[in-house]
Amino acid sequence: MKSCPFCAYSNKEGLLFCEDCGRRLASGDAAMTMPTKTIVIPVTEDFPVHSTWGTARFEANSQIVMHIRDSTETVTLIPNKRTILGRNDGNNPQRPDLDLTPFGALEMGVSRVHAAIYRNEDTDTLTIVDMGSANGTHLNGQRLTPEQPRVLRDGDEIRFGKLITHIYFKT
Amino acid sequence: MASFDFDPYSILGIAADASAEDIKLALRRAARRLHPDNNRSAGAGVQFQDITAAYELLNDPERRKDYNDYARSQTGGLYFNFRVTPSKRTVALLPEAQVFYLLAEIIPDIRAKESEHKRESRLNLTLVLDRSNSMNGTRMDKVKIAAHQIIDQLTPEDILSVVSFNDFADVVVQATPVTDKAALKARISMMLPSGGTEIHTGLEIGIEQNRKYLAPRMVNHIILLTDGNTFGDEDATIRMAKDAAKDGISISAMGLGQEWNDRFLDDIASSTGGSSAYINSSSAVVKFMGDHVRSLANVFAERVHLSIAADPDVTIESVFKLSPAPQPLSVEQGNIPLGSLQFNRILSVIIQLEMPPVDKEGFRSVARLVASGEIFANRLQKYQAVSDISLEMLENPPSEEPPTSILDALGKLTLYRMQERAQAALEKGEVREATRLFENLATRFLELGENELAAQARAEAEQVAYTNSLSDKGRKTIKYETRHLLLPTAAEDGTE
Repeated sequence: MKSCPFCAYSNKEGLLFCEDCGRRLASGDAAMTMPTKTIVIPVTEDFPVHSTWGTARFEANSQIVMHIRDSTETVTLIPNKRTILGRNDGNNPQRPDLDLTPFGALEMGVSRVHAAIYRNEDTDTLTIVDMGSANGTHLNGQRLTPEQPRVLRDGDEIRFGKLITHIYFKT
Repeated sequence: MASFDFDPYSILGIAADASAEDIKLALRRAARRLHPDNNRSAGAGVQFQDITAAYELLNDPERRKDYNDYARSQTGGLYFNFRVTPSKRTVALLPEAQVFYLLAEIIPDIRAKESEHKRESRLNLTLVLDRSNSMNGTRMDKVKIAAHQIIDQLTPEDILSVVSFNDFADVVVQATPVTDKAALKARISMMLPSGGTEIHTGLEIGIEQNRKYLAPRMVNHIILLTDGNTFGDEDATIRMAKDAAKDGISISAMGLGQEWNDRFLDDIASSTGGSSAYINSSSAVVKFMGDHVRSLANVFAERVHLSIAADPDVTIESVFKLSPAPQPLSVEQGNIPLGSLQFNRILSVIIQLEMPPVDKEGFRSVARLVASGEIFANRLQKYQAVSDISLEMLENPPSEEPPTSILDALGKLTLYRMQERAQAALEKGEVREATRLFENLATRFLELGENELAAQARAEAEQVAYTNSLSDKGRKTIKYETRHLLLPTAAEDGTE
């Protein structure tokens, strides 16, 4: 028997969707449901105060630290060539690399495939692209035109729908 | 030269250059799984007969040579691909039963062009139309317009017959080639509504008309359109429909308005390879029937069947046709009629199976699936493809994401099952359970962006809570719309 993580209904082993609430039953293997490149760590350091503020330079060994408003957790992200941010509801044609569901993505109007961060290793920069999300992506208060990349800088504010985040570069 | 209507090599699952020893081994292997002593499912019996016949043919050197000569003379024919995808390749050892899925897809030959091969399929169509009193007014008018437009689509090569029924049945148009369109239309215009609804008699006369021109080189199809309930003759009607299906007639059943028996119409359609549908307003009738007839004129292979023989300890839990028209299929038959395979459309079916507790590692076979059908463009019409499914049992299987196509279909099929469960709960008087399930459904619809359906499900949840019953309209809307969600979007529909 497998218990549904949403409604606790006992489903037969092997079913992929809960028979009671219709949601995707996660597999027992945690590595499959959690994007492998995301590590959620509690805030232990005082991130906003550091020397690289405002830089667009994102070096080979850098990481993104993402603060999410109204959440006590931060997300550390080592971006790939392309990192998709969105909301995984089990019906995604494309699974986001960073799933914002634990931070209230659904209520905040985050699309399943909302935005993507591209990493250019030749120029050591990151760009963000809105993937045609329903409620838009705002960079420092300015709405992005879908499919138009914009360079990310340390300390930028990115808003996915109504979900407000701040990103910091960390080496 | 002798002719053959099956491929003994594919039935036995062996290569064309197999040795006599290989052939014996193949028979023994099949007997272990499919012999009536070992496997009691209906599908296994049918398949075992085929396997015995194939074995006897290949075991006789002279007949085998005849077949090889024949097969060589037939190369260049068109075929369909049969692809079966399991939800997982490896299965964990577990002390309890576990569910897995097979997605079976029948894919028409990509070389088949609608423009070149289309007219090789002719249509033998029978319309069985309800003219009970409740059809009076707009409904009857729209049905007449729909019938007129169908006549416009047909050619003199096609055969049409029209039967109308209330408490009795009348032949409005005797089965005839569609030459004098104006005269046919005039007959249809004269239908007058009165009386009650007796589907059995109507369908009986309809089948009789269809049989007059019944031929293997045609698409033999009946469209039943009704807006009412028939009483007491359901079982006899289903039996009659199944007999017609054996002769190669498929029946599609369309319910208009709210009062008809959806389960009954579903049964008629799924036991003959047709489709069933809910037409919620009379204005939709014309487009709906027109589209349906257009799809019938676009057939690559007809009388397509899927036969599933699960291994003796594996059970088939449910079978559902996903495309081209989503439709629950009946499990108890080993041989499932699927109707027509259209050009450029994949016919796909999802099968839910259950495996007993597994305690040892290694490969094991779980089921044998056979897809067969008659390809109009080929002289050797009957074509058959076999797929044996084996899975690996492992103590610690690697984590594996089920194929997207299966996930996609199941996410929505689960919703269909939920509305079925909600209705079953309501019939048992479990009002709170039904309310809860409808509320769950509403939430999921909302998450999928199906706002209207969500509103409908929420309204039904309230209705159930207050009145302990459902509105017929809401119930049917949710059922058929949920089913409709299963249709793959154009982009996912492979060959187009």
